[in-house]
Amino acid sequence: MKTKLIDHLFRHHSGKMVSVLTRIFGLTHLEIIEDAVQDTFIKASISWRKQQPEHPEAWLTQAAKNRVLDILRKISAEKKHIPSLKCGIEAITIKDLFLDSEIEDAQLRMIFTACHPKLHAKDRIAFALKTVSGFNTKEIASALLTKEDTIKKRLSRARKAIQNNKLQFKIPQGKALPERLESVMEVLYLIFNEGFHSNQKKQLVRKELCGEAMRLSQLLLKKEDTRTSENYALFALFCFHSARLDSKINTDNKILDLKTQDRSLWHFPLVELGNTMMTKAVKSNSFSCYHYEAAIAAEHIRASSFESTNWDKILHWYQCLNNLQPMPTHILTMAVVCIQNNDLETAKKYLNDLNPESFTQRAYLYYGTLADYYTAANQLKKAIINIDLALETVTNSQEKEYLQKKKEALLKATS
Amino acid sequence: MKEFMMIFVGADYADLGLSPEELQNRMGKWFAWGQKMEEAGILRGGEALTPNMRRIVGENRTVTDLTSAEVKEIVGGYYTVAAKDFDAVQDIAQDFPDYDLGGTVEIREIMVFDR
Repeated sequence: MKTKLIDHLFRHHSGKMVSVLTRIFGLTHLEIIEDAVQDTFIKASISWRKQQPEHPEAWLTQAAKNRVLDILRKISAEKKHIPSLKCGIEAITIKDLFLDSEIEDAQLRMIFTACHPKLHAKDRIAFALKTVSGFNTKEIASALLTKEDTIKKRLSRARKAIQNNKLQFKIPQGKALPERLESVMEVLYLIFNEGFHSNQKKQLVRKELCGEAMRLSQLLLKKEDTRTSENYALFALFCFHSARLDSKINTDNKILDLKTQDRSLWHFPLVELGNTMMTKAVKSNSFSCYHYEAAIAAEHIRASSFESTNWDKILHWYQCLNNLQPMPTHILTMAVVCIQNNDLETAKKYLNDLNPESFTQRAYLYYGTLADYYTAANQLKKAIINIDLALETVTNSQEKEYLQKKKEALLKATS
Repeated sequence: MKEFMMIFVGADYADLGLSPEELQNRMGKWFAWGQKMEEAGILRGGEALTPNMRRIVGENRTVTDLTSAEVKEIVGGYYTVAAKDFDAVQDIAQDFPDYDLGGTVEIREIMVFDR
């Protein structure tokens, strides 16, 4: 007998069920729907203890269908009126809404709702993780390194924004679509980055966020209206980054940079998938930030060792990226690349353009790079001064340790 | 061989706000435990109970309907197993998946009457 279900089956189905039922009953009844779905999983988890159904997915879909009547009863009891289902389902019958293609459509509607510009930027991520990805508040809090109370507030603020603005459960059409799609991709990008760059010790949580971003981005690529070259580029970027996920942390849970990662651990099927996606992405004439970021990630992956990295190309892509979307962090990275490349003159030029204040809490990155520059230029005293400035502003303990080590090496070299 | 009942007492899942992912993981552990007992040939029976409760108390037969939230701790289910003694059942009960949720396993021996 099969003893193991597909990983995350419940989590993914929870998102599907909430989306389909919301399509039937409307966003007004979201809370009742979420409770009903939760209840279904509790029942499944208990009745499946003894015997798992032969087709777990079909079982869950059937369970969701069975909930339609329950929810209808509950809504009419609570609100003293029966919701007019007609407007929600238009021409198709409820049964058809549970077809795979329609479930995907409902999920896309939920993604667009979660990423609606009327929602506060931070609330979008929490709301998407809750409704589309089936995380509970505890899981969201742990994934985003935030307190559970904060997440609860964000979720309730998102719900209010949806009700107050009477948001429709729809995929935007026509002119509105590109703009809304941009906001969706931004949220997926942020979810992915939370997973990829977080210093969370639990590797699992990080992987799950990256996995969710990829799953949702794939969902967008399945539908013609939302299949854009930007989205292909975004997915390619996710693939290239994810390929390195296992090598980012060593056995002691310490973060490894590109220089020290074991490149043989990179997951090449993902690299290949990324390349395929990239080929599709560059068929368009205009390139987005995601195109350039994916190009940079691809360039890193292409190098068989850190030393053989093609820094000139990477610098070029960063210049393109910065022209499209000027940001101090891009300029800082260009300085880092120039230091790698031993082009100290250009590095200094970039560094002179920057102001530590523009990095706010991350000013330590600026001072750290400046320290690297002075180290490379053999002005060790200036390097130490900047390491100290970096240490003053750093908050993350792992980064702090990293800087401390650099400082000790410098002190040794000067004594 | 004697027969014992393991009675599971604790909060109802619905009141703990478990996520679908947690529920799936927990179910996997219950399933594995059940399989293990089955394979060892010691499992005699068992049921899970819904949290709905009607209580009848005293001579007046006073009836109350209760919810798990009001009671906090409820009997969620039981297994009956064949085992040599309490120690053997205690070993079996090590795999009970819900200790981390504050769950309790109560082991009771099933009484056998002389024929």
